[in-house]
Amino acid sequence: MQPPGGTLQRLTLPSVKHLVAVTSGKGGVGKSTVATNLALALQMHGRRVGLMDADIYGPSIPIMMGVPHVDPQTTPFPIERFGIKLMSMGFVVPANQASILRGPMIHKYLTAFLTQITWGDLDYLLVDMPPGTGDAQLSLAQTAPLSGVVAVVTPQDVSLTVARRGIEMFRTVKVPILGVVENMSYFTGDDGKRYEIFRHGGGQKLAKDVGAPFLGEIPIDPRVAECSDAGDPIVHKFPDSEVAKAYLTLAGRVAEELQKAGPPQELPGLRM
Amino acid sequence: MAISSSQSPRPLALSKQGENQLTIDWSDGHRSVYSWKQLRDNCPCAGCKGEFGQPPDPFRILTASELAPKPPLAPVEISPVGNYAYKIVWNDGHDTGLFTLEYLRQLCECPLCKTT
Repeated sequence: MQPPGGTLQRLTLPSVKHLVAVTSGKGGVGKSTVATNLALALQMHGRRVGLMDADIYGPSIPIMMGVPHVDPQTTPFPIERFGIKLMSMGFVVPANQASILRGPMIHKYLTAFLTQITWGDLDYLLVDMPPGTGDAQLSLAQTAPLSGVVAVVTPQDVSLTVARRGIEMFRTVKVPILGVVENMSYFTGDDGKRYEIFRHGGGQKLAKDVGAPFLGEIPIDPRVAECSDAGDPIVHKFPDSEVAKAYLTLAGRVAEELQKAGPPQELPGLRM
Repeated sequence: MAISSSQSPRPLALSKQGENQLTIDWSDGHRSVYSWKQLRDNCPCAGCKGEFGQPPDPFRILTASELAPKPPLAPVEISPVGNYAYKIVWNDGHDTGLFTLEYLRQLCECPLCKTT
């Protein structure tokens, strides 16, 4: 199915080496948190990174990256913050206003974000996806030169079963699954003990079930939420924290998997 | 290793054969052959399948445009959709069918596929 009134013209992003979607079928697993911190961790590895918020209805990137209020009339996009180039619907629509849109408009905005924003030379452009397997996911898979997707899950079954559907969608449309990352994996108490608040091993099990690499575990730390709400992600604010170290390891794994996957392949066409 | 699309065969080249055939050379060495008519008859779009799998009503009243003489059926363009399908734009304007790679393999009319 193609978007009504839209086209399925393949978009080209010649200045972006890898377009990577951070995704999950499930909401609330920390896709935006993982996307922002992964972006910063990749940058700490010396890469040029952009972060595009594809959650048109519920953009989170502006608050998490500390640019909640901008005047779209006078601000050139993308906005740069902590060295990361950013674009989000949150920059365009005021916080007290809802984006009430049907699917074709989602396709239109995502296409505009990808092609009408001067992203410049980037090693990685991360796309923070909304939950689900609908318009945003389909639009990207059908038109954007995705190098792959990173699937975010939390350990409990209710998250895994929905995340699995998300992964199966990208498999169906033949976008490489770079791997599974388990967020909110465990909490290390003051006593040094590991508490597995949302159960154990779910991410690893899912990765095994779908035959994708397991990219790592991100621990729980109350400072993650504090830092995100304050607009200064934990990887930037507390680079020596256990969470930041987990993100740096994750960034290395993602880069490694992208290297193995190579540039996105393109199917040949035929014009009469 | 990331799950990649390399695990299933991919088209390497599409070409027109004669006046009314398409050939696809696949990464596993297979060469598929299709006639325009076969592709059009098997268009997987919701309209051609009929809503929710119902065939079109055989007793419907044909419109004038359906009865008008037409040029022979042929595609104008066969363009890739993402990494998983092809969209065929026909000379009668129909362009809503997305043929997935798996579906195209199923439809292959070459002697080898026809016998198995």
